[in-house]
Amino acid sequence: MDKISIPIGPQHPLLKEPLSMMVDISGEKVLGGSLRLGYVHRGIERLAQQRTYVQNIHLIERICGICSHVHTTTYCYAVEALLGIEIPPRAQYIRALMCELERIHSHLLWLGILAKHIGLDTIFMHTWHDREMVLDIMEEVSGGRISHAANQIGGVRFDLDEEKGEMIRKILIKLHSQVEGLLDVIESEPAAIARTKGVAPISPDLIKAYGVVGPIARASGVDVDMRRDASLPPYDQLEVKVITHSDGDAWARTFVRVEETRVSLNLCETIIREMPRGDVVVHAPRRVPEGEVIIRSEAPRGELFYYLRSDGSDKPARLKVRTPTLAALSLLPVQLSEINVADIPVVLAGVDLCIACADR
Amino acid sequence: MFRSLFHLLVFPGFLFLVISGLTFEWLDRKFLARFQRRVGPPWYQPLADLIKLFSKEDLLPKNANDFLATLLPLISLSSVLTAGLYVPIAGYTPFSFEGDLIVIIFLMSVPTLAYYLAGIISLGIYSVLGGGRSLLQFFSYEVPLLIALSGPAILGRSWSVSTIMETQGRLGPFIIFQPLGFVLAVVGLIGKLKRDPFDIPKATSEVVGGSLTEFSGAKLGFWNLVMDIQAVVGIFLLIDLYFGWIKMSHPILAIAIFVIECLILILVLSGTSAIFARLRIDQLAGLGWRILVPLALLQIGFVILMGV
Repeated sequence: MDKISIPIGPQHPLLKEPLSMMVDISGEKVLGGSLRLGYVHRGIERLAQQRTYVQNIHLIERICGICSHVHTTTYCYAVEALLGIEIPPRAQYIRALMCELERIHSHLLWLGILAKHIGLDTIFMHTWHDREMVLDIMEEVSGGRISHAANQIGGVRFDLDEEKGEMIRKILIKLHSQVEGLLDVIESEPAAIARTKGVAPISPDLIKAYGVVGPIARASGVDVDMRRDASLPPYDQLEVKVITHSDGDAWARTFVRVEETRVSLNLCETIIREMPRGDVVVHAPRRVPEGEVIIRSEAPRGELFYYLRSDGSDKPARLKVRTPTLAALSLLPVQLSEINVADIPVVLAGVDLCIACADR
Repeated sequence: MFRSLFHLLVFPGFLFLVISGLTFEWLDRKFLARFQRRVGPPWYQPLADLIKLFSKEDLLPKNANDFLATLLPLISLSSVLTAGLYVPIAGYTPFSFEGDLIVIIFLMSVPTLAYYLAGIISLGIYSVLGGGRSLLQFFSYEVPLLIALSGPAILGRSWSVSTIMETQGRLGPFIIFQPLGFVLAVVGLIGKLKRDPFDIPKATSEVVGGSLTEFSGAKLGFWNLVMDIQAVVGIFLLIDLYFGWIKMSHPILAIAIFVIECLILILVLSGTSAIFARLRIDQLAGLGWRILVPLALLQIGFVILMGV
């Protein structure tokens, strides 16, 4: 059969964010593909140089609509490192709590999208219904479902009282039982396994060559998790179970994310139980001394990298963000060969793209 | 004359089939919504969708053959409506003759072929892909479906649906003798209707809208109507062939039982589309030829031995 090219994107039912792919196919076989990026480039790094450190928190929160909190957390840790201040332990725990909640809702969102792509609309509806519980918690504690505005330089903007802690614990227990049933279905449903098992496997060498991080790397057996490796507070005091799998195919990626959801749920409960008492914010000066710093943290999609350079003024001289999705995107054309047309959605879902993060 | 017109236009013809098709679509969407923890549409939603589509602008790609694109949904609609005339409804059939089962099966296959052609002539890249897939799928489910449907015909010693039903009145419903054949026929029907898990030709995440990607307005409205009527005709046929018509002294009781059987079958169809993930086309071909065809042959062998 002749080779034909099908366009996927910038507008396509498969994509939630704009991304352009040309996929060459012959019959039902995919021969290869190419990518075009930059549809949601907003020049955030340049904009960050024109705003003060405090204003930048609100800018950086808008890099991503799913993992907004981990962006501001990493940025705040970077600024605080330059300032040489340490935030109170309670603030660290609240930041970590929000990060873990974000990971849960990001993974549930991803699970729903995968299910929708392989035609399991029921699982899609149920996961997104359960995800609402996490968003409810976030709204209750911070006031925002998506943009939480939780961080400020020197701490967090709100405190959790006993009542709210109890409320979160109750919702988490309910969520836990809901999610357990759901995850069991995903891990044992024969049609879902048939669609994902053995699809587009990635070898650990390829992962390292392309610098891919996060759940995709862990699904290929590369044991990397910034919560443990970068030992950003408070994760140095918490035990984080890192989930890895050796298969590297779409099913292993599903397995890793599903298990990570469980780990995060347990971690949330631990954080609430062990949360230290005290203040949640310390005073931070507006001007940041000269210097540069690199902070790495674990976003839901993998290692998030922030480089910040200060020239002593109240505005950053340079802010560089490297998001996990960018590395995963570079691996995408490699994965788009020797697969079926019907596997394209599975491969795309397995990457868990966040185009807004990658383009900025 | 007047009687024939009534049969053609009102019952069991056009009006009845359109109304039951729209009712089927509503029930199906409602059941599916309840499985998915949603509320689901109100009863008039399928009708409202149809009216909306008929009032919308009709667009096609520049070089597409507009005449054929108009003709194909109309041919499909007329063939499923004609098929509906010959399927007994609660035992009532005005146009029965020997061999009408074959006519029904043939007329029910016309929309699939028209669907393939619609994909080819509308010139969209996704349409061509979807059209090719629909033909591949056709070869996977049609053979087991035909073998399964010939089971009741062999047992009833006739190719007429009403004669088969009369035999069932004597022997008891054929579901007792051919449970496997019934399951295969339901699977084949799901494939014919391109429903989840066999919605491969119109999988949104893979080929956008399949063959009908480029269709809009009234043509798309007709296509939707074709799918709905095809579904109800298929459901009526399966109920006639496998659950028969237990001769009732009272016609209202017969109608009530028929409606309940239809509802159960719709529930089964909605349930399967809620539970299963979509198969890949190679997985479907494997399922069709490696599993369904041998099972269907097994069932036929059993039926033939029973007839002897």
